[in-house]
Amino acid sequence: MLDGIFTGLATAVMPFNLMMVVVGCFAGTFIGMLPGLGPISAVALMIPVTYGLDPSSGIILMAGVYYGAVFGGSTSSILINAPGCASTVVTAFDGYPMAQKNQAGKALALAAWSSFTGGTVGAIILLFAAPALASVSLSFQSSDYFALMLLGLTAVAAFSGKGQVLKALIMTIFGLMIATVGTDVMSGATRFTFGSIDLIDGVSFLLLAMATFALTEVVMTIMRGQHKEKEAKMDMAALGSMKLSREEILEVAPTVARSSVFGFIVGVLPGAGATIASFLAYGLERNLASAKQKLQFGKGALRGLAAPESANNAASTGSFVPLLTLGIPGSGTTAIMLGALIAYGIQPGPRLFVDNPDVFWSVIISMYFGNLVLLVLNLPLIPYISRLLAIPRPILIPLILFFSVTGVYLVSFNTFDIQMMVVITVIALLLKLLEFPMAPMLLGFILGGIMEKNLSRSLTLSDGSFSFLWDRPLTLSITLIAVVLMLLPLVRSLLERRGKTRQANGPEVAVMEGEG
Amino acid sequence: MTLNKDQIGGLIFLCLSLTYGYYAGQVDMLPGDEFEPFNARSLPLALATLGALISALLLTTSSLGKDRNDDTLSLAGFDLLLTGKMLGLIVLFGLALHWIGFLLSTALFLLAGYWLLGERRPKMLLLSSVPFAIGIWFVLTQLLDIYLAPGQLITLLMGA
Repeated sequence: MLDGIFTGLATAVMPFNLMMVVVGCFAGTFIGMLPGLGPISAVALMIPVTYGLDPSSGIILMAGVYYGAVFGGSTSSILINAPGCASTVVTAFDGYPMAQKNQAGKALALAAWSSFTGGTVGAIILLFAAPALASVSLSFQSSDYFALMLLGLTAVAAFSGKGQVLKALIMTIFGLMIATVGTDVMSGATRFTFGSIDLIDGVSFLLLAMATFALTEVVMTIMRGQHKEKEAKMDMAALGSMKLSREEILEVAPTVARSSVFGFIVGVLPGAGATIASFLAYGLERNLASAKQKLQFGKGALRGLAAPESANNAASTGSFVPLLTLGIPGSGTTAIMLGALIAYGIQPGPRLFVDNPDVFWSVIISMYFGNLVLLVLNLPLIPYISRLLAIPRPILIPLILFFSVTGVYLVSFNTFDIQMMVVITVIALLLKLLEFPMAPMLLGFILGGIMEKNLSRSLTLSDGSFSFLWDRPLTLSITLIAVVLMLLPLVRSLLERRGKTRQANGPEVAVMEGEG
Repeated sequence: MTLNKDQIGGLIFLCLSLTYGYYAGQVDMLPGDEFEPFNARSLPLALATLGALISALLLTTSSLGKDRNDDTLSLAGFDLLLTGKMLGLIVLFGLALHWIGFLLSTALFLLAGYWLLGERRPKMLLLSSVPFAIGIWFVLTQLLDIYLAPGQLITLLMGA
């Protein structure tokens, strides 16, 4: 492991890679601060840039953007009560009231320190957890991989939230369907191309990610009329001190420690991600607080700000565990990174730390640097970075649209891709209006090819029998977990519905009984 | 009868799955592939079946729920015309790239985009589009050495 750490350290401290961390953190912070654009859009916008870099530098840049975007989201939550992404919604609960009390500087500093601690704790646990898990998963065979893909896809659906399970499953299948467009790698047959040469290579991952996240999010702001909103006015003179007193540090220290570990664990679960971690950590902290302290929550409680900030950063780090060791993304953002790695010809999963130790370790090491950059450089520069928010929306929105579209065009130099992006954006807009989640679709699309390959191999080896699913105890265990994960929310919703029906019928029964 | 969001979504995906399933059955295979345990049609057919089943399940559960009419799709408050114009502008940008090249189409796209979103100051319109387009074109062609075709119309005119 020490060799690996040194390899990662040597790659991560290369001046160019250090510059990528800094650039990524800055770009991420800026994009994350823009309302409506979160880490997924920020990372998607960076994909075309990373195509010109080597895999380590590209992933380091994306990891920096990821952290920066989460931090940027927290900044706009605190300063203007406009969370840049879902995982920083909770930050606004106590961060914005602090800003209203002229303690914005303190809130930003606390958010940065909590994020730093959360990210650092996460990076340290990742340092030990990832290789351990990866060495276990080295014995995986194609049937195990297939079961693992199944687990990844069902887990995303299972954690998608109340009433969303069926929709998430449908979107996963939709993603798998899109992945079948083009030439079948096994037989060479063309599928669903309808005679178009442009579809023979299938739908590009970059195009799909940009259209469904970056382009759709920006077009959605136009549709909602958010471009007419006045630019956020921030009085930087009223930021106040950025220093925390000794008492304040002692008050939040246990919260930060608890939430960091808790956030990491939640982040490791495929599909759970930083948003759920931040909400759960806030809830946990509120429950642990005394009755007097509870009253402060929502009015500028330090613990209420520190908990979600530590948890969402630790969860962001935790979501790299399933990505790096099993090849299953833990969140929408890591799904995009998985797609980028596959585009580089690197297959994330158990063999990543054997075949590409430089990528595996440098990502882990650079995460630590990323957190450091956010704290040392971004925090003092927040007053200046946030000035970029003063760019009028009618100017900013066409520029983002331009970068999204040309990012795809400059990779393929095919204008057909631009027309296809528009079509996909229109479909994604409709699906968003119908409240269908997008991340499962992208995950299905990315895992589709690998899943089909492993299923084909397993079925060929077992002579067409599905017995490969229960022949090996490991495959059976993973498949069973996937089945349980898929059935659990369905059973729960059925039970809840039955409970509601009983409650609704309860009084009627009583009346009838009374009448009788 | 008003359909709620889940019912609309369920119907769309049911139709999609059935259409996808139909075309999955039309996928050409190499001779003898139909006897293989796994061929080019296997996964698409399985996905079509699964998709149809889950869509039907979504349709059923959303039709049975007591709050089925609470969540209808409402487009009130959405600026659909402007959204359509912006998307149309992107399509035009794609076509313009082919005919008039990167530099001109970028400048025109940005100019039209700013205009559509309500920017009317001529100085602002020009200063934030033309220098930006030239800057990006310079970075791509001169610094990154990326070849950008001048556009078919320009080539025709210059050639003539």
